[in-house]
Amino acid sequence: MTQAYVALEGGHVIEGRGRAPGTARGELVFTTAYTGYEESLTDPSYEEQILTFSYPLIGNYGVREERFEDDRVHPRAALAKEFTADVAEWLESEGVPAVDHLDTREIVTDIRDEGAMKCGIAVGEDVTEEDALEQLEACKGMSEHTDIGAQVSVDEETVYGADNDGADVALVDCGAKGSIVDSLVARDATVHVLPYDAAADDVAAIDPDILFISNGPGDPANYEQAIGLVQEFVEDTPVAGICLGQQIVAEALGGSTEKMTFGHRGVNQPVLDLESGQVVMTTQNHGYTVAEPGDHLEVTQINVNDDTPEGLDGVVHDVITRQYHPEANPGPEDTLDFFDDVLAMADERASTAVPADD
Amino acid sequence: MSTDQQSTGETGDGRTILLIGSGPIQIGQAAEFDYSGAQACRALQEEGARVVLVNSNPATIMTDPEMADEVYIEPITTEAIAEIIRKERPDGVIAGLGGQTGLNVTAELAEEGVLEQYGVEIMGTPLDTIYATEDRDLFRQRMEKIGQPVPASTTISLEEDESVSELTEDDLEERVQAAVDEVGGLPVIARTTYTLGGSGSGVVHEFDELLARVRKGLRLSRNSEVLITESISGWVEYEYEVMRDADDSCIIICNMENIDPMGIHTGESTVVTPSQIVPDEGHQEMRTAALDVIRELGIQGGCNIQFAWRDDGTPGGEYRVVEVNPRVSRSSALASKATGYPIARVTAKVALGKRLHEIENEITGETTAAFEPAIDYVVTKVPRWPKDKFEDVDFELTTAMKSTGEAMAIGRTFEESMLKALRSSEYEPSVDWADVSDDELEETYLERPSPDRPYALFEAFERGYTVDEVVELTGIFEWYTERFKRIAESTRAAQEGDFTEAAIAGHTNATIAATAGADVDAVEQEVPGRTYKQVDTCAGEFEAETPYYYSSRKNEFESGPLVGDAASGELEVDRDLESVIVVGGGPIRIGQGVEFDYCSVHAVQALRDMGIDAHVVNNNPETVSTDYDTSDGLFFEPITAEEVADVAEATGADGVMVQFGGQTSVNIGEPLQDEIDRRGLKCEVMGTSVEAMDLAEDRDRFNALMDDLGIAQPEGGAAHSKEEAMQLAHEIGYPVLVRPSYVLGGRAMEVVYDDEELERYIEEAVRVSPDKPILVDDFLADAIELDVDAVSDGEDVLIGGVMEHVETAGVHSGDSACMIPPRSLDDETLARVREVTEDIAEALETVGLLNVQLAVRDGEVYVLEANPRSSRTVPFISKATDVPIAKIAAKVMAGNTLEELEIEEQIPEQTSIKEVVLPFDRLPGSDPRLGPEMKSTGEVMGSADSFGKAYDKAQDATGKPIPDSGTAIIDLSADKFPDPDTEDGDALVDGFTEYFDLCEEVDLAQAVREGKVDLIVSRDRDLLEVAVEEEITYFSTPASAKAALEALEAKDEPIDVQAVSDRPKQTAEWGRSD
Repeated sequence: MTQAYVALEGGHVIEGRGRAPGTARGELVFTTAYTGYEESLTDPSYEEQILTFSYPLIGNYGVREERFEDDRVHPRAALAKEFTADVAEWLESEGVPAVDHLDTREIVTDIRDEGAMKCGIAVGEDVTEEDALEQLEACKGMSEHTDIGAQVSVDEETVYGADNDGADVALVDCGAKGSIVDSLVARDATVHVLPYDAAADDVAAIDPDILFISNGPGDPANYEQAIGLVQEFVEDTPVAGICLGQQIVAEALGGSTEKMTFGHRGVNQPVLDLESGQVVMTTQNHGYTVAEPGDHLEVTQINVNDDTPEGLDGVVHDVITRQYHPEANPGPEDTLDFFDDVLAMADERASTAVPADD
Repeated sequence: MSTDQQSTGETGDGRTILLIGSGPIQIGQAAEFDYSGAQACRALQEEGARVVLVNSNPATIMTDPEMADEVYIEPITTEAIAEIIRKERPDGVIAGLGGQTGLNVTAELAEEGVLEQYGVEIMGTPLDTIYATEDRDLFRQRMEKIGQPVPASTTISLEEDESVSELTEDDLEERVQAAVDEVGGLPVIARTTYTLGGSGSGVVHEFDELLARVRKGLRLSRNSEVLITESISGWVEYEYEVMRDADDSCIIICNMENIDPMGIHTGESTVVTPSQIVPDEGHQEMRTAALDVIRELGIQGGCNIQFAWRDDGTPGGEYRVVEVNPRVSRSSALASKATGYPIARVTAKVALGKRLHEIENEITGETTAAFEPAIDYVVTKVPRWPKDKFEDVDFELTTAMKSTGEAMAIGRTFEESMLKALRSSEYEPSVDWADVSDDELEETYLERPSPDRPYALFEAFERGYTVDEVVELTGIFEWYTERFKRIAESTRAAQEGDFTEAAIAGHTNATIAATAGADVDAVEQEVPGRTYKQVDTCAGEFEAETPYYYSSRKNEFESGPLVGDAASGELEVDRDLESVIVVGGGPIRIGQGVEFDYCSVHAVQALRDMGIDAHVVNNNPETVSTDYDTSDGLFFEPITAEEVADVAEATGADGVMVQFGGQTSVNIGEPLQDEIDRRGLKCEVMGTSVEAMDLAEDRDRFNALMDDLGIAQPEGGAAHSKEEAMQLAHEIGYPVLVRPSYVLGGRAMEVVYDDEELERYIEEAVRVSPDKPILVDDFLADAIELDVDAVSDGEDVLIGGVMEHVETAGVHSGDSACMIPPRSLDDETLARVREVTEDIAEALETVGLLNVQLAVRDGEVYVLEANPRSSRTVPFISKATDVPIAKIAAKVMAGNTLEELEIEEQIPEQTSIKEVVLPFDRLPGSDPRLGPEMKSTGEVMGSADSFGKAYDKAQDATGKPIPDSGTAIIDLSADKFPDPDTEDGDALVDGFTEYFDLCEEVDLAQAVREGKVDLIVSRDRDLLEVAVEEEITYFSTPASAKAALEALEAKDEPIDVQAVSDRPKQTAEWGRSD
């Protein structure tokens, strides 16, 4: 008989049904999306985290690779009220422990009240509560994962849409979702995916029309190289960022970031555009946020629920960033035009560029 | 930073808004519009608007005097509403809250120029949008314009100078063939535009059938049009509930997935929220399409968009936009209850110009209306069909609605949710599976969708069918079929002694104990207990304050019942506070309509007035009682003794009221008392004792009691066998009234005139309830029937009102029009009526409501029935007299005395008529004659100085107005009518010939079909079935025909439109002529 235990920060252990064996530890978070489990489980931003699905039934429409955001599962473990066999088998084949028959609503409200917390998991034939507690003991805080970028980034430059005629985008991969690349390529851009720790020379070699900082896991303060790139290029090159990318841009340009109690994870986060007065629904997955934008950035969009910054514009520089995920997958497609706005900055740059022979 | 931007739009300050309700409960338009209307009234008043409300249905909460600034209970006709507009001079009208009825009448008012003449603005969704969604051709054009795929379709229509009766068969054939070719061949869906709940539409496989339908459709359609569409049967049907504000912020409140494949009306389908089997990409494609559609149509407020979807191998699948309802609907009520997002409330505020992020989300108190609810449970809706009432009607589920109501349930798994929903629907398939062969199971119960199909799935798995086989037979998607199988397997495991799986699947301990032949205590110890979770719109992300809960079993790692705080789960209750549970009425069905929701809501309001916490247990998503801000605790649960006792355990309630929810709540009185005793809960069943309720229903004991009190009853008794029944009938003398005991709404009640009829009846009645006796009573032909509703506190009795039926004995009291005050009683008789009521109240030790049905013949008052509980006439009486007897009853049950409450009886100075609405047009093959079996779905009220005018207004309100001229058929051939040669018969014929030419055609039915007849008086079933089809006003009893004559005579009297509280009343006691 497979045993399964989930140990929560503070030492409380919950029994569940084991669906994929193994031990794991990570920061316990939840998403409220009821579709898109394949996309969520392959989202690199969940690295070093244990993902709880607040929706009870996960796996209802099977598992298809074409819906993945990356080539592997990123959360360290997954929790639900009920996983289908399809999902359980997939997670097992990926070596990611899974537990179900849990009261996930109780877990979610615990996280809401106590904040994202450390968690240890043990699933297997003979595991005990102690095994889960041992994992908990060894669990580090998110900010302590200082080299988390290395776990989720490409090792070397990879080019997508090489034959496209549009802008050249240097995408610094801090754990980018595949849909960001797809959204840019679909708009005729050539996307140069660079490692999270790319050097300024690597970027300069591309001479990009846009420097784009991707989403990714963990604390933005741990991405020093990317922060440096933004500072280096912002004078001459339009800069864009999504999620962690927005936080990195803010850190780079004199703003500050902070850890949230339990973050925003779901597909129903309302964002108000301060200029148009329109509210759109967005996909979000972040545990850190921009605290102060600093003098070089202004807030253009805010979260309707807690007023946190959702969109930043450069005051003098060509910079636009989003805290949410305009590329959707999972979630609403209300904000796909962000990519048009990003690429418009490249066009503008091209049209105003001073001729080289001067 | 702040989201507190000033609204650019106007708010409601000082503006007068006219709100139009949806009229009587009928198939396709049930209590959902009472809920949405009531919510809208509150929302508009919050914004400072003055609300004028009109609805013809007195059984609603929205027509309570305190719901709006002025409440009119008047016919929803342009004549009456134009009069209200003249009096009230509203600035705007919101049309999208009163269903199809409200939309249609608003469109007519605009077309007639009334709105323009009085400067009344149509608020929210514009009229053009309404036309664009209702005219399918226009709709298709708009969808094509924005690149949205719609099913191929075309219309068959008549030119202005053409009439359908002149159309030759060849001509028709040609047009139909061309249409079929255009949409890609048979099968097709044929539909008439502008009808309610898809009446007259369906998937057609045969060309001849299509011809007949088109001919009929062309005749009935308001714009002589029949739509032919590509059949996409077999695809998955989705609905998206969308909301948009004036700044173009758009959100999806939720989507809903129909378990039954496309081809079955969504009102007839089992529906699940959120979707289970569509991947994110497909869901987002439809979501985006829904937003594009609502923007293109310029809708402001709530809207419902239907899609068909299938997995075609692409990541997101393929979809079609099927239909748009630019208004709140049955589905939006369901979506509101399923998510906690108050669609009608937000729609009303958006219509006033508020933006979504400026409207507070009352559930969380932290967030705004600008968000999409996140759900962390599974919601299932199951329709409720009147199958038991209409033996002649085929209840195969099609694109036309036949269900009268629905039940909703919430669970953590589909299995739990589905079993709770089935339990809540209180439906029992009338089939003994042991008698059903595999072939019959497949053909009649699995392939053919019917109300019995969910049960047939369980039976199939019990017989060892595989999931693939069942998918093949039913077309129900594999994911769902698998879960039906799990339920069946859990039931099997329970039979073999393993109870846990069955409990987690959603069975009650009582069911498991019965299935396994085990003791309920043993089951309870072994399985995980139930605890409560909150419906919070946000899947736990924010702390919510609203007390809206559902139960779920714990996981298998725990067992044994939960008591005290452990049972409460997420409930925030102060167990020391005095609290009472009001048990609601469940799904709307014939015999148990919205009136019991009205009573339940009044009980809640009364308790809250007294400072007592009131909790509601109910499962009908259409109603006001299941609005999250009606009570102090809303428990969306099946109504069983076990589940109500669980709520008592969790809340620490001191009492339970079972008088208000109709038969549903009354029926759990006794088992609930037992369950409370078994668990040793400190909780009482309040008011009249369960024992007294039982006494009132036990014929023999009740007879003896009446004899003791010296109250006359029709001679009769209970018979336990055919021989006994015959003997009784002979003693009494034919005709006799026969009925099974313990049934709802007069089911299977009949008047029999000889031995042969009695024998035939007994075979049926015994089948209806085998272990209960049948009652045989003297049939008091031509007696005047009365209904009395009263409240007693155990000492004093307050008479709410005395109503006289228009129909004589032989027509079920629930189907008879009735009037208040009565007009045929002298003072002495009325005094006796009072005395009888008081004596019965005292004898039954009534605390709370009492309904007494009486018959008066030759000055003698007979009691037919007494029920110490709420009755369906309570709201009508309360509206007519302005004495809220349900509230008073709740207060005396909670300890007040009538003396303390200082309420005086009121007698209206005008006449108010309650008239019923009948569902025959929705149920082809049903017998359209009034009789002892109740068949009506709803009611309307008409008030005026004279009986005739009040009756005329009531007929107008039913949508079957009495024409004032034309051609009539006066067919007095039936036994029940007076002979044409007699004085009475003569009077009837002469009366009608004053207004009508008599139809001279030989083939009367054909004349009706050809549109040559305007009014029919007859009891010829075949002729009346044609009248129903052709929507011709008819009267099937002498009493109603006579009343119609009086109405004709009163046609010229002023329409007398008045706010209901302005109608004159006299403070006086019924039956006491001081």
